Amino acid sequence: MTDSLILGLSSGSACLATCGMVMFPYLMAGSAGVRRIAIDLSLFLLTRFVVYFFLATIAWYFGQALFSNPVVRNIVPGILYIVFAIMLVRYSISKNSNRDCPVKIVKTVNNHKLLPILLGLVNSLGFCPALFLILTKGAAEKTLVHSYIAFLAFFIGSSIWFIPLPLAGKIRKKEVLTTIGILATGLAGVIFMIKGLTNLIGGLING
Amino acid sequence: MVNDLKIAGTRKSLGKSLLYTLPMFLITFLFITGGRPNFSDPSSAIAVLTAFLLVNVLYFLMHFTGKTDRYRAVLFIIFALSLSYTLIHNMLEVRNSMSFSQADILECKIPFCHLVIPMMILPAVFTKSIIFPGSILNGFANISTMIVLWLVATLVLGRGFCSWGCFYGGWDDGFSRFGKKPLIKRIDGLWKWMPFAVLMMVMLTAALSMMPTYCSWICPFKAVTEFEQVTSVESATKAGIFLSLFGGLVIALPIMTKKRTQCSFLCPLGAINTLSNKITPFMIKIDKNACNECFKCVETCPLYALTRDDIKEGKVSMFCSKCGKCVDACSKNAIHYGIKGVPAGTLKNFSRNLFLFVSFLFMAIFSAGSIIASFQGLLKLIF
Repeated sequence: MTDSLILGLSSGSACLATCGMVMFPYLMAGSAGVRRIAIDLSLFLLTRFVVYFFLATIAWYFGQALFSNPVVRNIVPGILYIVFAIMLVRYSISKNSNRDCPVKIVKTVNNHKLLPILLGLVNSLGFCPALFLILTKGAAEKTLVHSYIAFLAFFIGSSIWFIPLPLAGKIRKKEVLTTIGILATGLAGVIFMIKGLTNLIGGLING
Repeated sequence: MVNDLKIAGTRKSLGKSLLYTLPMFLITFLFITGGRPNFSDPSSAIAVLTAFLLVNVLYFLMHFTGKTDRYRAVLFIIFALSLSYTLIHNMLEVRNSMSFSQADILECKIPFCHLVIPMMILPAVFTKSIIFPGSILNGFANISTMIVLWLVATLVLGRGFCSWGCFYGGWDDGFSRFGKKPLIKRIDGLWKWMPFAVLMMVMLTAALSMMPTYCSWICPFKAVTEFEQVTSVESATKAGIFLSLFGGLVIALPIMTKKRTQCSFLCPLGAINTLSNKITPFMIKIDKNACNECFKCVETCPLYALTRDDIKEGKVSMFCSKCGKCVDACSKNAIHYGIKGVPAGTLKNFSRNLFLFVSFLFMAIFSAGSIIASFQGLLKLIF
């Protein structure tokens, strides 16, 4: 649970850094005070929660079908952790990485009531290395409940960053926070890389 | 010619230098000998005398030559080496090994170091518990003494702690002095924010797992102090991380960049000390009227604390550890030690004398114990 929360917390900061500023105008556009903002934000987070619930279920059943052998259960997720962690680290250190947010595609939607839901959907399904990592973790868990807990921790960790979104405009030195957030995401990648290596070596020794 | 001008600005006559050294001489005498020198054990007496002379000669030379970093670095590096020697020696005597077992953790026998402090904050606030398996009051390197020492030094020196008090900094400072020219000249400025990301991660992971995660998984200095016994894939991975980080950030990169890369890109306590630079009374200032923008200070700064833009604007960033390397490099005496609130270019000598007295005294007292112990150890080895 700890590593899922850490992954959520660190990738959430980078997600806010890249997507937050894109989502902010959409969530706030035409809003009528704090109540409207709170409702929009709740709908956005609720959509993410529901999507993650489904992803946790799908990932776990997929994992059950694929990783039936106990050795494979260690080795395959180990390799996947390493691959996705490298992608996450690469994303964080590459200056020229594509920092475009997938939620930009909802630009064309005019229905304001549907916007928070669409934003939540696109944001949670925006396939980034962090999501691949949590999908791998969900697939490798022993029980479905464990998979739900992993996704819940990831959801909580990443959602915390969106709560102060309405205040984002007032934050000074946003560039510094963005840099620190993206570097922290890279560190989360390193944690999962080590986890993957440990799984892989452990799996090979036990095999 | 310009060097003469600079030296004339900060160096002192023999008599004046001796006079400035006198208070240091008396205070270090009291602290090192306890006011009662004991000559009954010759090896102990020689070690005490050598340590006492070493700190005072270095302090005298700082005043006499006008150079700061050159002599600070000597004591700083000796401090790092002697601390590691003393710690390892102690571990070998007590446990016959540099590694500690699970029993040592359960009995809270792990020596505490200041790098643990960032991880203790959140668990201490929320659960009122200390997550490190060390002694709070007893034994050497106990938790309370280290926290008080660090807190006082950081409030007074700010990030100066990293160049005048940290007993690990001497390692990469030492290696950064190998070779004449750097092999890697440019590193992206965004990396200097990495310690903040590490700080955020270790604080969170420590709070969530109630374990000192930096010590357990990352700290490169485990390679020269003590580490967990290798009994599993996990502990072997940890040992691999410690050794790679030590080899990479403390040895290889400092040699290649001539910078203190571990301090610049990893240390989470360095991030906290960086923030404390905002409240400390001492700082490095730039006298814009004297500066000819040669940017030698930017090239020599070991912590990436200076940029060309900073120099043009006449300000030093909060990453500065007040080591004095830029001050030594400046031929115009334009970059100098200063005191908050006092305009740049004024009270240069007074500020330097005051800062040197406070910071060097701290380092001398803090390092004396381990230097004496390591000298004694060396004497026993030789004779």
